[in-house]
Amino acid sequence: PFLAQAYEDTQCFKCHTSAKKLIEITREIAKTRRVVKSPEIEGEG
Amino acid sequence: MEPLAPHEKIFVDSDILDDENHGMIACHECHGGNPDDPNWKTAHDGVIKDPTYPDATAACGDCHDEISEHYRKSLHVSLRPYRLMIHERANTSAGIRDKVEHAMNDHCFRCHSSCGQCHISRPTPVEGGFLDGHLFQRKPPMQEVCTACHGARIAKEYLGENEGVLPDVHREKYMRCDKCHPGDEMHGNGREYANRYEVENGPKCVNCHKEIYNRGAENVITHRIHKDKASCQVCHAQPYKNCSTCHVGKDKSGLPFYKTRASWLDFKIGLNPLKSDKRPYRFVTLRHVPVDRGTFDFYVKDGLTNFDNLPIWKLATPHNIRRKTPQNKSCNACHGNGPLFLQDKDVEDNEKEANKGVIVPANLIPRRQKWQPK
Repeated sequence: PFLAQAYEDTQCFKCHTSAKKLIEITREIAKTRRVVKSPEIEGEG
Repeated sequence: MEPLAPHEKIFVDSDILDDENHGMIACHECHGGNPDDPNWKTAHDGVIKDPTYPDATAACGDCHDEISEHYRKSLHVSLRPYRLMIHERANTSAGIRDKVEHAMNDHCFRCHSSCGQCHISRPTPVEGGFLDGHLFQRKPPMQEVCTACHGARIAKEYLGENEGVLPDVHREKYMRCDKCHPGDEMHGNGREYANRYEVENGPKCVNCHKEIYNRGAENVITHRIHKDKASCQVCHAQPYKNCSTCHVGKDKSGLPFYKTRASWLDFKIGLNPLKSDKRPYRFVTLRHVPVDRGTFDFYVKDGLTNFDNLPIWKLATPHNIRRKTPQNKSCNACHGNGPLFLQDKDVEDNEKEANKGVIVPANLIPRRQKWQPK
């Protein structure tokens, strides 16, 4: 279990396995990040 | 397909630790970034979102060496047929061709996949997001991966979502895409192909329906008479989606967009534009594709001056197969039934030259029969 334990302790794992933390961060990102799809798309892709 | 909330797209299920293979690889080994930085804004410096595209060797190759070796030539990654088809139609001037290539990079080439975009997340062109908390999916889920991209035509045909058209009979048997298109085909075999119909281990109906030409098999006479003359879809497909006039560009924010003029359901039998040992048929089903002389006008005028080099009505294999269809009800449901065939009058004037090789002249439309096999 030694390596798995070390990997559980990383910041990546702590944040990305916490829905609460991710909701907080994605809300913060949404304040500044624009839409990524053009509203001018017409028709079926 | 239900959209994912932003946090759902990146939520990692801690069950990944139970994966005795992938669960042993730390996040930063594939994705980079700083795993010890508590500030998410700086921790993500240098993060690689999809470490399996465009080259999966570093992320997957240590264990999946054969697959990752062939991966870059698989059609879902290379998109080689797109490039070849557009180059065939493109202006031969190097300057103009560069601009067409630039336009393709902004539009056509965005619709690729990768190891990660089938086995871990939804494909990026459909806005991505983990399939199930970054757990590795041996078989990608059909409706979140395959039909998420192959939606407007294949999915609607297969699932029976076109008005008045039944779902594919194989769907009714609960078959998923990988039943006919297994991993070996998707991963590529290291060979480069000019189109998907050349793929050596691509699907063939007779892989399962081995008995149809055997003595005593049901409808054996009909199948033997039409062997190598008509593709299976000619008798067994239903009307399918066609579309036209796709123009691409960028809006005032610089975001890429496309506009297609129309789409409609139709069923047209034409002459086979891609005859080969594998597909020797004289007659095949044809689909009108959306390429247009002005597709790239936003980027460069006269981009596709050799537009007529290839047909716009292209070989198609509609995914809405039925055992019984209106055209196979009797011999004369098809023979002598002019409207089923792509004729000169069905083709727009400015597309006649491009399609001259697939239009069926009146003298080639099979004549009405007096005889009907038992």
